[in-house]
Amino acid sequence: MKKESTKYYPLIPVFAAYLVLFLIGRNVPGMWQLVAMLLFYCALGQAFNIFLGMTGYVDFGYVAFMGVGTYGMALAITKLAHIEGLGIAIIIIGFVMALFMATLLSLAVGAVALRLRGAYFAIATIGVNEGLRFFIEGARIWNGSEGLIFTAQLNQILGRETASTLMTFWADIMVLIIAVSAAFITLYYIRSKIGYALTALREDEDAAKVMGINVTKYKIIAFVTSACFAGLLGAASWALKTPYVFPPEVFEIHYTIEAIIIVLLGGSGTLLGPVVGGLIYGISKYYLSIFIPGFQLLIFAPIIIIIIVLFPEGVVGMLKNRFKDSALAQFII
Amino acid sequence: MSLLILENVTKRFGGLVAVDQVSLEIKHGEFVGIVGPNGSGKTTLFNVINGVFFPEEGRVIFEGLDITTLPPYKRAPLGIGRTFQIPRPFASATVRENVAVGAMFGTLSGKVNVDESLEIADQTIERVGLKEHRNKQAGTLTPVEKKLMEIARALAMKPKLLLMDEAMAGMHPNDIDQMVAFIKQVAEEDKIAIVAMVEHIMRAVVGMAEKVIVLHQGAKLVDAPTKEALEDPKVVEVYLGRPSEK
Amino acid sequence: MLLEQLIGNLIQGLVLGAVYGMATMGLSLIFGVLKVVNVGHGAFIMVGAFITLWLFNALGINPILAVPVAFIVGMGLGLLFYYTIMQRLIKAPELATLLVTFAIGILLEETVKLIFGSEFRGYNWAVGKINLGITVLPMTKIYACIGSVVIALLLYLWFNKTRAGSAMRSVVEDSEGARVCGVNVGGTYALSFALGLGLTVASGVLLTMFIPVGINPYMGGGYTLKAFVIAVLGGLASPYGAFFGGLIFGLIENGSYTLFALIPGVEPFALTRFLSFAMLLVILLIRPTGLLRAK
Repeated sequence: MKKESTKYYPLIPVFAAYLVLFLIGRNVPGMWQLVAMLLFYCALGQAFNIFLGMTGYVDFGYVAFMGVGTYGMALAITKLAHIEGLGIAIIIIGFVMALFMATLLSLAVGAVALRLRGAYFAIATIGVNEGLRFFIEGARIWNGSEGLIFTAQLNQILGRETASTLMTFWADIMVLIIAVSAAFITLYYIRSKIGYALTALREDEDAAKVMGINVTKYKIIAFVTSACFAGLLGAASWALKTPYVFPPEVFEIHYTIEAIIIVLLGGSGTLLGPVVGGLIYGISKYYLSIFIPGFQLLIFAPIIIIIIVLFPEGVVGMLKNRFKDSALAQFII
Repeated sequence: MSLLILENVTKRFGGLVAVDQVSLEIKHGEFVGIVGPNGSGKTTLFNVINGVFFPEEGRVIFEGLDITTLPPYKRAPLGIGRTFQIPRPFASATVRENVAVGAMFGTLSGKVNVDESLEIADQTIERVGLKEHRNKQAGTLTPVEKKLMEIARALAMKPKLLLMDEAMAGMHPNDIDQMVAFIKQVAEEDKIAIVAMVEHIMRAVVGMAEKVIVLHQGAKLVDAPTKEALEDPKVVEVYLGRPSEK
Repeated sequence: MLLEQLIGNLIQGLVLGAVYGMATMGLSLIFGVLKVVNVGHGAFIMVGAFITLWLFNALGINPILAVPVAFIVGMGLGLLFYYTIMQRLIKAPELATLLVTFAIGILLEETVKLIFGSEFRGYNWAVGKINLGITVLPMTKIYACIGSVVIALLLYLWFNKTRAGSAMRSVVEDSEGARVCGVNVGGTYALSFALGLGLTVASGVLLTMFIPVGINPYMGGGYTLKAFVIAVLGGLASPYGAFFGGLIFGLIENGSYTLFALIPGVEPFALTRFLSFAMLLVILLIRPTGLLRAK
C-alpha cells in the first residue's frame, strides 16, 4: 500500500517547473512575455490532456470551449459595465460565466457526440466548432462577426492602471492558477476510480463495458472537466489579456492542433507530459519565429511527423519507461 | 432458482439469424460446455448474455431478474464475468491495474475503493500464477499469460457466472489440461458457474463439463448431460469427419 | 422572380456540386480503405490549383491537360507519403493519423508558400459562356463539371472492372477477410492512398476552372471542411456516396443562400456555412452511413 504523502510526489516536478518559470519571468527583464506564453501552452496542454490523453478521443473542436469561455468573460464585462461599484467582482462574474457556458456546451456536445467513436467523433467535433462560429456570425448573436471589444469598459470599471496590470500580469497569474489546478485534478483522476475507468475505456471500450464500467459517465466526466478548464483559460488568457473577441479568432482550429501537439509531444495521458510538451512547443515556437520568421511551420511540420512516427509515447512516456524500476519512477507519471 | 435462463432468444444481423430461438438454463456452480463450429452463433450468444447485443426476441433472466435490455456495465456487477476469444487486455495498464479494474467496477457492492481493489488484484494474480508479471504492461504478456490475466480480471469481479470464450484456443495440450483443472478448481472453490465455449469437442473441456450444449447454425441442437450429448446421433452428424479428440 | 433566381442558383449549385463531389472522392476512398481521415485534404487540392496555374501561366498549357498531370503528381505524392509515413501508422490510434495528415498538409502549404509566395493569384482562360436565360454558365464551369462526371465514371469502371479495383473494394468491406482471401492488403493500402491523393490533386485543377482567382497556399482549409461535410453526407467511406454528397451539398449551399438572403439582419453566407455543419452533425448522429447508404 502507498503512503498518503508519496501519492503526491508526481506533482513535485510539475510545480517545480512552474516555480522556475515564474521566478525567471519575475527576475529576468523582458522574459515575462515568453513566460506568459509558456504558461498558456502548459495550461492548455494540461486541460486538454484530461480528455484527449486520458480517453483517447480526439476532440478536434476543443478550441470551441475556449471560445465560449472568452465570450463568457466578454459578455459579463460588456453587459454589466453600467453597474456602479462592481470593481474586480466583475472579473469573478466573468469567470463564473465562462465556466457556466463551457459546462453547458460540453454537456450538450458530450451527451450526443460522445456516442460516436474515432474519426466520426473527431469530425463531429469539428462540425460543432465551425457550426458554432458560423451561427454566431450568421445569426448576429453577440454582435456577430463584428465581435465584442471591451477595453473601454475594463478601463472604466477598474481604472486604467488596474486594467493594465490585469492585462499584463494578473491574467497570466490566473493562467498559472488554472494550470496548477488542472495538474491537481489530473493526478486526482489518475489515482482514483475515474483514472482506472478512463484507461480501460481508452484501451478497449467494449471490454471496459463488460467489466462493469459505465463508459458514458466517465467519458462525460473527463469531457466536461477538460472543457471547463478550457473555458477558464479562454476567459483568463484571451478575454483579459486582449480585451476583444472575434468569432474567427476564438474558434480557430489551429489552437486545437497546437493543444494536440503539446499533449502528444509530452506524452498523452501522463501528468508531467503536457508541461514538458508545452515548454518544448512554446520555446521552439518562440525562437523559430525570431530566427526564421514566417517559416517556422515549415520546420515544425516535419518535426511533428517524425515525433508521431518514431516517438509516439512522447517525452514523458519514454522517461517513464526508462526509469520504470528506479527511485525516479514515483515522480514521473 | 436457476442462475441464468434464456427463453427463446433470437438475435439477427440484417437478414442473418445469428442466434435462433435458443432456450437454455444454467444452475449455480454448474460447468457447462457450449460446442459449435465457427459461425454457429456461440460468441453472439455470449454477447447477448452479457449485454453487448440485445436480442430481438426472447428474454434473458439472471437470478430471477429480467436483464434482457440491461446495458452491459450494469450486468457485470450482478455477477457475470467474461473472457474473450482473442484476449482484450487494457494494454498500456499493468497486469495489476487490469485486474484491479475488475474488482473496482465489476463487483455488486460497487463500493470497492482503489486500494482495496489493488489488494484483491494482488491476491487474484497470485492465484492464477502471474505474480512475477504483475507490474508488466498487459500488452507485453504472452498470449497464454494474457488469457490467465483475463481470467484473473474476471475472477476479481467475484462473478457467479463466468463466460469463457475459447479459453483454450491456441494453447499447448499440456497447458490445456492444466488450465482446465485450474478453472474447475476455482469454480468449485468460489461456487462459480462456468460456461466454456469451444469450437471442437475437446476432451479436456467437454470431459469436465456436467452438461453440453451443441449449437448449429445459431440453433440449439442438443442440450444434455455430457455423456448423453456425446452419443447423440445429431452431434455425430454435425461433427462427421471431425471425430471428437481422443 | 424569386423562383427564377432560386432555380438559377440551383443549376449553378448542381454544376459546382459535381466538382465538389469529385473533390471529395479521394477523401472517402482513403477513409474507406485505410480508415484514415486526411485532415490535410485541402492542401492537396491547393497543390492541384498551383499545378494548373503554373502550367497555364508559365507554359500556356490548357487547364484540361493539367488534370492528368495533377493526377500523376498526386499519385506520386501519395506513394511517397505512404511508404515514408503512413505505412508505419496503419495500426496507430486515430490521434496519430489525424495529426500526421494535418502536418503533411502544413508541409505542402509552407513548401508552396516558399516557392510561390503567399499572395493570391489567378489565371484567365477565356472560352466563352452559355446563357440559359435564368442564369449564365461560363464554359470553364461546364468543362469542370463534365470533367468531374467523367472522372467519377472512370473510377466506377476501375472499381468494378479491374482486379486491383475489386481488391480495394474487398479491403473496404473487411480487411482481415481480404487478407485471408489472398489480397495484397499492404499494396492495396498504398495504391488507395495514392489514388485518393491523385484524385484530390486532380480535383484541384477542376476547382480552379470554377474559381480561377483566389489561388493561394492556404486556400485548402475551407475545402477540407466542406469535404468533411460532403463525405459525411455520402457515408464517409464511399467514393460514390461522396460524389452524390457533393451534388446535394452544391444544391443546398446555393439554394439556402438564396433563401437566407431574404431574412433581414443576418449574414446569409455565414448561415449557409452553419447549415452545412448542422447537417454534418445531424447525419453523423442519426444516419452515420450517409444519406444514400450506397456501398
